[in-house]
Amino acid sequence: MSTVEGDENESLGNASNSAVTNEETSSNTTRSGPLNDSEGGAKVVFLLKAAGGAPILKKKKWALPRSKTMGHIVEFLKKYMQLDSQQQQQLFLYVNQSFAPALDTTIGSVNDCFSSEGTLVLHYSLTQAWG
Amino acid sequence: MNTSPLDDKEITRELWQSRIPICFLLSEEDKSKVNRSETPEPFYLMLSRHLYFPCIIDKISRYYSTYYKENLTDSTNNISLHNLWLEYESIPLKWHYPIGVLYDLYTSSLSSTSSCHLPWQIIVHLSKFPENELIRFPDKETIEAHYMTTLKEADALKHKGQIIGDMQKRDHKQLWNSLFQDKYENFWNINMKLMSYTDNLQYFRYIPFRIYILDRVFIQKLFSPYDIEHDKWMTLNDLIQFSLNHEAQCERLSNEKEILNINIKDYRIIIHGVQPPLHTPIQWLSEYFSYPDNFLHICLVEKRM
Repeated sequence: MSTVEGDENESLGNASNSAVTNEETSSNTTRSGPLNDSEGGAKVVFLLKAAGGAPILKKKKWALPRSKTMGHIVEFLKKYMQLDSQQQQQLFLYVNQSFAPALDTTIGSVNDCFSSEGTLVLHYSLTQAWG
Repeated sequence: MNTSPLDDKEITRELWQSRIPICFLLSEEDKSKVNRSETPEPFYLMLSRHLYFPCIIDKISRYYSTYYKENLTDSTNNISLHNLWLEYESIPLKWHYPIGVLYDLYTSSLSSTSSCHLPWQIIVHLSKFPENELIRFPDKETIEAHYMTTLKEADALKHKGQIIGDMQKRDHKQLWNSLFQDKYENFWNINMKLMSYTDNLQYFRYIPFRIYILDRVFIQKLFSPYDIEHDKWMTLNDLIQFSLNHEAQCERLSNEKEILNINIKDYRIIIHGVQPPLHTPIQWLSEYFSYPDNFLHICLVEKRM
């Protein structure tokens, strides 16, 4: 699995350290207090892991309101990783390293069903790593 | 479960054969852009409740392409088969929901009259694709991928993914192909493996289900079909009450303004177009009343005052 090097690394690094986006502020607020028990809570905390040769993110832990959809996360990551929209580069999000929830599924729903010991892990890939 | 397997199997066959007659009507706006002197007639199809609209997109496309022969490549008209989408009562229909689920949810909830909603009248649009509301599902391959991933999710809940993980690729293919080609026996030859038990349990670890209520995202929770502590089978009523309570709780914690109505008596509970008795064991429903994607798709329709 390749890590992002050189210029790419810098841009991703800058993105994560730069002015906060909506997603990043929510993560900052959870850092200040006890880690949310996401079930039934306002925000879902999840880890993003790279798969299928996708660039590794510096920032791996994220938090979002329950009602945000998988599609929202995909679109955000595409911009964040500066994927080529002209070439219609796609991004896939997987749960349990086996299935990709429909893009209108909420992160709250995915968390309720598939988080393990309070943590939800999502794998992202530029290819259909698990079909 | 003390039920006769032979009778129950007949239920799966009946569900497999259930159809909805649909009348496709071209939108008024697109009618005005028709090439020929006459406007397209309404187009009738009898469709399986458990299929998806993209499965018949070729049929729809072929029908309307004869009317738009020259216009299809003319971008100024913005008419394009690529922009095809379906609408019922101003609601864009999601491609990736089984046809039966869309019918049960929307015709029961939206129709101004309580009379029969058949044939189901759907508006076909060829322009102004609602980018913000619909995901494009242009072809059969995409819907097949969606079906397979949904199946994997169901198995993840039922068996930690063990059974589908152990299946050959050709078994996966057989499930989709027999669904698409309407071959009941071929389908169930493989599907029965997904209905078996693992880990010395006499039931599924968790039940794959989704609850649909108008104007809401679907509700999906972890729910075990058997209460070990009290040594009893959980019922449809238990599952729905649990899900509504949990979802309302989540909304309260998120400071949502409109909290869900958790009173089951205010809803009609519809699966495959029928209202199963609320005391039905959920394990049984999961085995015999699931859709071919192995999910129980449950529509909750608010009763009118």
